[in-house]
Amino acid sequence: MSHFLERLTYLSRRRESFADGHGELRDEDRMWEEGYRLRWQHDKIVRSTHGVNCTGSCSWKIYVKSGVVTWETQQTDYPRTRPGMPNHEPRGCSRGASYSWYLYSASRIKYPMVRGRLVKAWREARKTLGPVEAWATITADEKKAKAYKAIRGRGGFVRSTWQEATEIIAAANVHTIRKWGPDRVVGFSPIPAMSMVSYASGARYLSLIGGTLLSFYDWYCDLPPSSPQTWGEQTDVPESADWYNSGYIIAWGSNVPQTRTPDAHFFVEARYNGTNVVAVTPDYSEVAKLSDLWLHPKQGTDAALAMAMGHVILKEFFLDRKTPYFEDYCRRLTDLPMLVRLRKDGDRFVPDRYLRQSDLAGEKKSRHKASKSDRAAWKTVATAEESGDLVVPQGSIGYRWPADGEPKGRWNLEEKDGETGTDIRLDLSLIDRRDDVLPVAFPYFGGTPHPHFAGNDQGGDVLIRNVPVRRIRLADGETHVATVFDLLCANYGLDRGLGGDCAKGFDDNVPYTPAWQEQITGVSAAHAIEVARGFANNAEKTKGRSMVIIGAGMNHWYHQDMGYRSIINMLMMCGTIGVSGGGWAHYVGQEKLRPQTGWTMLAFALDWVRPPRHMCGTSFFYAHSDQWRYEKLDVSELLSPLADPAPYRGSMIDLNVRAERMGWLPSAPQLNVNPLTLAAEAGKAGVEVKDHVVAGLKSGKLAMACEDPDNPVNFPRNLFIWRSNLFGSSGKGHEYFLRHFLGTRHGLQGKDLGEEGREKPTEVEWRDPAPEGKLDLVVTLDFRMSTSCLYSDIVLPTATWYEKNDLNTSDMHPFIHPLSAAVDPVWEAKSDWETYKAIAKRFSELAEGHLGVERDVVLTPIQHDTPAELAQPFEVQDWKKGECDLVPGVTAPQIAMVERDYPDTYRRYTALGPLADRLGNGGKGISWNTEAEVKGLGALNLRVNDSGPTEGRPRIDTDIDAAETIMYLAPETNGEVAVKAWAALGKITGRDHVHLAETREDEKIRFRDIQAQPRKIISSPTWSGIESEHVSYTAGYTNVNELIPWRTITGRQQFYQDHRWFRDFGESFAVYRPPIDTRTAAAMLGKKANGEKEIVLNFITPHQKWGIHSTYTDNLIMLTLSRGGPIVWISETDARKAGIVDNDWIELFNLNGAIAARAVVSQRVQEGMCMMYHAQEKIVNVPGSQITGQRGGIHNSVTRTVLKPTHMVGGYAQLSYGFNYYGTVGSNRDEFVVVRKLVKVEWLDRSNPVDPIAEEAAS
Amino acid sequence: MLIFKAFSALLSYPSAEMRQALPEIAGVVKASPLVGAHERENLLALIGEIGQGDLLAAEERYVDLFDRGRALSLHLFEHLHGDGRDRGAAMVELKALYAAAGFELTGSELPDYLPVVLEYLSQRDMAEARDMLTDCAHIVRSIARSLIARRSPYSAVPQALLVIAGEKPVDAVGVKPVAEQPEALDRDWAELPAFADVAAPAGGGSAM
Repeated sequence: MSHFLERLTYLSRRRESFADGHGELRDEDRMWEEGYRLRWQHDKIVRSTHGVNCTGSCSWKIYVKSGVVTWETQQTDYPRTRPGMPNHEPRGCSRGASYSWYLYSASRIKYPMVRGRLVKAWREARKTLGPVEAWATITADEKKAKAYKAIRGRGGFVRSTWQEATEIIAAANVHTIRKWGPDRVVGFSPIPAMSMVSYASGARYLSLIGGTLLSFYDWYCDLPPSSPQTWGEQTDVPESADWYNSGYIIAWGSNVPQTRTPDAHFFVEARYNGTNVVAVTPDYSEVAKLSDLWLHPKQGTDAALAMAMGHVILKEFFLDRKTPYFEDYCRRLTDLPMLVRLRKDGDRFVPDRYLRQSDLAGEKKSRHKASKSDRAAWKTVATAEESGDLVVPQGSIGYRWPADGEPKGRWNLEEKDGETGTDIRLDLSLIDRRDDVLPVAFPYFGGTPHPHFAGNDQGGDVLIRNVPVRRIRLADGETHVATVFDLLCANYGLDRGLGGDCAKGFDDNVPYTPAWQEQITGVSAAHAIEVARGFANNAEKTKGRSMVIIGAGMNHWYHQDMGYRSIINMLMMCGTIGVSGGGWAHYVGQEKLRPQTGWTMLAFALDWVRPPRHMCGTSFFYAHSDQWRYEKLDVSELLSPLADPAPYRGSMIDLNVRAERMGWLPSAPQLNVNPLTLAAEAGKAGVEVKDHVVAGLKSGKLAMACEDPDNPVNFPRNLFIWRSNLFGSSGKGHEYFLRHFLGTRHGLQGKDLGEEGREKPTEVEWRDPAPEGKLDLVVTLDFRMSTSCLYSDIVLPTATWYEKNDLNTSDMHPFIHPLSAAVDPVWEAKSDWETYKAIAKRFSELAEGHLGVERDVVLTPIQHDTPAELAQPFEVQDWKKGECDLVPGVTAPQIAMVERDYPDTYRRYTALGPLADRLGNGGKGISWNTEAEVKGLGALNLRVNDSGPTEGRPRIDTDIDAAETIMYLAPETNGEVAVKAWAALGKITGRDHVHLAETREDEKIRFRDIQAQPRKIISSPTWSGIESEHVSYTAGYTNVNELIPWRTITGRQQFYQDHRWFRDFGESFAVYRPPIDTRTAAAMLGKKANGEKEIVLNFITPHQKWGIHSTYTDNLIMLTLSRGGPIVWISETDARKAGIVDNDWIELFNLNGAIAARAVVSQRVQEGMCMMYHAQEKIVNVPGSQITGQRGGIHNSVTRTVLKPTHMVGGYAQLSYGFNYYGTVGSNRDEFVVVRKLVKVEWLDRSNPVDPIAEEAAS
Repeated sequence: MLIFKAFSALLSYPSAEMRQALPEIAGVVKASPLVGAHERENLLALIGEIGQGDLLAAEERYVDLFDRGRALSLHLFEHLHGDGRDRGAAMVELKALYAAAGFELTGSELPDYLPVVLEYLSQRDMAEARDMLTDCAHIVRSIARSLIARRSPYSAVPQALLVIAGEKPVDAVGVKPVAEQPEALDRDWAELPAFADVAAPAGGGSAM
């Protein structure tokens, strides 16, 4: 509309001006503004955030108009930090800002989808049979089963209904439980912190029916095992605001501006505040651009650089002169003063285990006689500085779990002897009190040859260093002991004035000097010295405010522990852990589920049945996708030259089997029989179930399933995937999954051990031919057609993050906030909570007549944070080899019998069970009564009023009920519980901690509260930092300030790992180890030539800018910001060598499989490596590979998981198992690929849709 | 105008009910003065294909075409606004248009789903139908082209719609099968130089 007639032509109105003529008052028609008003008008704004896999936890405003989500903008109402510090907002990034697109996207899954061939067979069978019988006939008919399995990943979906889909799933579950066992039903979902209720929905259903939940943090290789090793803590880190409090930050293998976008402003603000910032990354990354100094060690060699920095700090701040702050910190809060026994080995000595109180019988220098308590084996020993007496300091793990009748309240870090109560001050070094100086041997791996990494040959693999020692007489004879500090200095090659081999100065090429590392890393010695000095100097002046932000660039390597521990050593030496502005800031897939103890009750159905079935994801996938059949790494390659190789013969899976048998790692499926049959058998024989199982295992009548993973009896049968792209971005060894797990077309190039005629495993039954298609049913819940969905049998449309109610916390900030349903789920989508509720309902109905109240035998490993972690104090003994007796929970898994009421599954799912009040709640070794909370929840959520077994229990009907349950039960969101929890901890430590939560006792954070504004959580003993008006959240704060011990064997932060396997695998101290040789690339060179030049490059998969893992990589906006399809970055030098120019199609391949992608040729990449950002999907612009003849794979197509033995250790204090706490991890950066130009780009579009005739001909 | 309802049905997910009604749909197609001889032949071929084999096969064919990605999305605004934030506002406007005519959405479909739009047009007069089809002709043409590239008989519907709108239908002879057009893909994705006064790169290995 022109409004022509409303405009004046000859007249003008009087105008009033203001603001010095910059403004004027007008009175004329403003209708034209309506257009804009209408455009931006909305009906409501709802607070939500972005879900599973991003740890940003950013608050967003979702705008809704006429029931349609129209756009989103960042919320800016976070509670303030405090004076002198920048605030949190704005939080958010380009990815979140483009999320509303997913709601209505063409790639949205709109209906329940089922594979056509499966649904055809199903409908056919259902004409005559009931659902459970129908499923039984389909899976029993090899031809029918093969027909739908072989087509996984190749289209052929049809729309189904919720009714039909849930019926198939429920029938499959019922049949599998009855025929094979409940532990054959398996579920995978990651990172509960980002949508707790959604995780809990599937986990609760599976826990009720006895299914197995797989861990993810370790499988993703985001778990840093160095953290449990050092601190007995899964992961605890500073919030991002605490970066601002730091005086010196090293960003090491962590690309903050790219991967922590909403937090990066604190990094920049810290610089304005004067913080010195150093970046250590092999490529010229985004964080390098923000830093004062960029160091670029050869990728994978960072431990060498960190060891050299540790060398500098020890020399200049501990030996050349003493730094009182550092010394005091290390004496009280680390294991440096603890004594280690030395084992004689020829004319040299080897560091052995910690000296224990149980060793002391007959020793004159100790103030107390040997204790008769079995806890004495778990109390470490040190020397009192003044008297030189041997003392048993409080706080070691023996004090955490006193035996009945022993005094409580001595598990703390007060400087006291735990037996006599006298004040003590521990000796760091024995150098002034030494009885002798002995040659001690340390393993050296820095000279190990590797085809692609430079070593530093020192003429052997053992280093001999002179160490000051004391001679003491023990029950088992005379021995020598040294402090961890003296051994540490020797391992670092420092000169103590005791003669022998050691570094006289930083320029000596002696491990681990700055000059020594130069050959390996390429970083100049001067830079190593400068950074180490700067870092320690700042820590000395600020009392610990030096920080290392560390990330996947460090953690995803096979020898990640060495990289991490060499850096953690620096942090501990400088007294930075537990100090605001200092410490270890590991941000990799972190999952700080703050109201954890409230959530575990709901998620694992602890209110109905305990214990739940948990399994280490990595060990599970290694076994069941048969990656072990292709193992190329010999155990012997990993052993310390000082170890006896005899106990470690066999293949990698053999060690894993032993670990599962000894109760170290969990095991699932568990036994080679259906666990529901065992109780009846035991009843018939008239013995306890536990004894029946023990006898069966001993006689060989029963065996653990892990000893025969390729036997159909032991297959996992049903798999649920939700909130995850398990086969895509998370499927390390993708092609192995396709072949063995799923039984479909794959691009695997290598041969297995049998085909290659190599030595086969000894503990595991080898079966030929290898199984293909172990899984009968794969169900995936997702909102978009991810790679995993493509390979599933049933795909259920799930609600997006703007369509459901849920909870979300991060460790990047201390707030809890919601996901809220801005609109109802579109098309036929349902929230995860409603989906599993629907499955549970149908399952309960179908169970009638097939499953009733059943007794189930559950095997669990020896658990961390329980008294059972005091299981195997000295030697490693395998009951199967007759080395010890089989004692459940001590030398083998715990065995428990539980009762499941299958027809009541739905009712149990939707009500809080009676174990909540009968057994109470707790976590991390403390527990409290929850009667008051259960009562409160009954009033809040209302009670079940149907007559039946759940009558009168608090309801958990909706996702909001579930959220309230979590928050009401957890100390972090219910102040009353926090006070109870701190009081419970106080009983164990003998100290008063209640003051940390007292001021917030009356506070209860509820779902509607956090919808109004994010709330800061309440301090709780589940975490080692506190929420306060005075300090930012940082890990270890309560250990340092409240003197709560770390949950390790010594109760202190550990430089030393004394478990036998750590010693034998050469990792009792941090050392440098080069990447492993995976032997997958060279074997493919020239084997399938296409006439183009082939080069070999290290394959690195950093996190990307244009997506969160694979989410957003099918979003056109994000694709437009990158190059719109799979890309791999290579250096200009390598590109020249292979005749590749920018944007060429290239192929990357090795024995594991192949990828087709575009090349990005860039100066930022170092020669010898290539980067493929994690994770690009198979579904967007991926042409065929000439190697495999199939669509060109994803980044995981060229990887294979390799386990690490030290991650299997268990039954030993902090090294005991915990779900997502300890276990084998899926590392992948040691991999190499052949890179060459792709000559013919084929899109293979003809292969879809499936051509039934060609298909018949092929099969 | 029943013909639009027939088109709406043909582009919907095949169901047993719909397949039973195929003769009825064919009747409407044959009788409609809006459909020319050439279009009629193709539409009848499509009707034949939907009726062919068992229902599951027809469903699989539909899912493989329309439930899998962007190029063949039957949601008009997917093509117009893609991932942009204007899409929400556009849907709101369309809903308002239906409301003004006295209709509201009953199922779970979005307002811009082509079968929804066509059903709406079946209840309106020809002038409005022509207007609206002309407005979205470029989208209909793009869908037609993608279907032709996949050699799918479903192309008959968008082609017929173009004719009704008074537009030229896509010349099927000129459309290459989808497997043979990587250069087009390169062209689509190539970035124009921001500053240099250079023509767009040909893609596929040109150094920049």
